[in-house]
Amino acid sequence: MDYESAAGNKSRLVPLKTTLEVETRDRVINVYVNAIPVKQASNALSIIRRLIPNDGGLDLQHLRRFVKYDDAPPHVRASISETRSLVTPGPENETPKELIFIAGSVDSISKESLIEGLSSISNPVCICSIQVPLLAPTSHEQAAFWTSRYWPTVYKKSNPFGPHPSIVSRAEEDINEDVEKWMALADGAAQEARATGSGEDIGVVIVTRKNGIARPVAIAGDARWLDWPHSSRGNVAAHATLRAIAMVADGLRARDEDQQGVSDITIPADTGIFRDQPRMPTEQCRSPIDDDGYLCHDLEIYCTHEPCVMCSMAIVHSRFGRVVFRRRMPSTGGLCSDGELGHGLFWRKELNWTLLAWHWSSGTDSIGTCGVESDLHA
Amino acid sequence: MGDDSPLTSKSPPPPSTPPPVSIPKSASQCMTPSEISTHVQFMREALSMADLALQTSETPVGCVFVHRGRIIGRGMNATNRTRNGTRHAEFLALDEIMRARDGKKPRYAPETLRECDLYVTVEPCIMCASLLRQVGIRKVFFGAANEKFGGTGGVLSIHVGNGRKAGDGVEGVEVEGGEEWERWHRDDYEVSGGWLREEAIVLLRRFYVQENDRAPEPRSKKDRVLKLEVEPMGEEGKMGDGSAS
Ligand SMILES: [Zn+2]
Ligand SMILES: [Zn+2]
Ligand SMILES: [Zn+2]
Repeated sequence: MDYESAAGNKSRLVPLKTTLEVETRDRVINVYVNAIPVKQASNALSIIRRLIPNDGGLDLQHLRRFVKYDDAPPHVRASISETRSLVTPGPENETPKELIFIAGSVDSISKESLIEGLSSISNPVCICSIQVPLLAPTSHEQAAFWTSRYWPTVYKKSNPFGPHPSIVSRAEEDINEDVEKWMALADGAAQEARATGSGEDIGVVIVTRKNGIARPVAIAGDARWLDWPHSSRGNVAAHATLRAIAMVADGLRARDEDQQGVSDITIPADTGIFRDQPRMPTEQCRSPIDDDGYLCHDLEIYCTHEPCVMCSMAIVHSRFGRVVFRRRMPSTGGLCSDGELGHGLFWRKELNWTLLAWHWSSGTDSIGTCGVESDLHA
Repeated sequence: MGDDSPLTSKSPPPPSTPPPVSIPKSASQCMTPSEISTHVQFMREALSMADLALQTSETPVGCVFVHRGRIIGRGMNATNRTRNGTRHAEFLALDEIMRARDGKKPRYAPETLRECDLYVTVEPCIMCASLLRQVGIRKVFFGAANEKFGGTGGVLSIHVGNGRKAGDGVEGVEVEGGEEWERWHRDDYEVSGGWLREEAIVLLRRFYVQENDRAPEPRSKKDRVLKLEVEPMGEEGKMGDGSAS
């Protein structure tokens, strides 16, 4: 199953984008830019502050206000020199030390009043309109892409549309230590499910991490075909994620029975739809549950495949802190915001719980779903 | 529930007029009185499951699965008892159905669910809406809408195309009934909300009062007052607090 890691391909954690990030990431606005002599920069800014107070209510903090002519993207330089040749026909006469600066959005001022206002510092005024990203970038990569495509853009290590980048990178330090180990365990459960015919090639591992020490508290393979007719599409309640969550709940009940002497909790055996008991050798994992545990609060879950919508929401209901999966399920997965469904359930402001989510990507496995059909619900 | 419950202190309506029952606006226009009374009757059964949940300190959400006019499974929320945040009423009812035996043989095949209708007191959450889609439910009747977690219109619309957003230019190539359309819509199910929603909401409110009283540090007196007025219904019933459905 793990031919990718066997081949020595280094996998890495790719944080999932939230629905808001995906929806807003390509939004652009048109702004006027103008070329001015370097020494006029502060004059230009004070003129603009008078003409367009507060930038017309627009937040432009993520954009460089002034850019050296030579550092501006080629298409911006081209627009400026084209405008210049229209305004002053004849040979190029650009001054060597020039800046291009953002005056304001095209909605905040008319071109005529802008030209009039700036005529005292540059003559002739060479204004043109370009596209810039409306909102702040949420990663270095995005900032670099926007810088080359639109205009020099600054990444300020913040993300108004999702978890704060510093929280994400701190979590990644933890997870990078042992993600390979947990994924190997999940793979083992998946292979066993497949080999015994009890389920699809899907597995999950639930991990608790306290004071820097991580240990597994539940391991489950898919069991949709266990005591279930093959004429159907399988037992939906026996998806690996739901089974693993139920195993944690079993541990919590055992703990509470010990603590309070409660023993009147009778849970029906696995004859209906639930497959809560560990079955396979790899599923035997009886680490004690923390004394203060509530549901799966702040636990981590590692999945061989992106969970389906049901299982993704089960993860939210159970209040996990982190989820990592190996293979994307573009047409059925509930976690990603940029798949075909686009639900991004790990981080939606309407829901009462948000968690951190990563695709553990080896770069080569993003396309194939490995061992399962692409329209299967993991 | 004690006798001091504000519900019982309300005087019953005069016997000549039937008790006022909230049903969706659309139902009164396109259903016969006998159809309506059948749905109301099944929803009452779901409500009695929710009431049972309340008595055992579970969020009062209940449901029944109906197959060919007969209830074949009942469920109530059990997240507290099981310490499992996924044990919603819908799962418990499905478990009961698939556990039923005639001798040693299962009484119902999984395909039976494709001919079932669900009556649930609160709109199914996103998780349960996906469960229902994957088991192939035929139709869902619910009481109060679930603005926080609802999966059949509240937050997402999993019952239509698995909640995938239309548009993005893909809709054009998807001819209704075509292969691509079929891929997304073959498991779609019908949904009708607002059936006995007031009763469903009153149960939820009683639960929050009860749980606040149980807490070691009771919240302010104001929070504990049982609000029985229910805001008038919009298109569907609306209830913000139904987390465990
Ligand atoms: Zn594999
Ligand atoms: Zn699943
Ligand atoms: Zn639910």
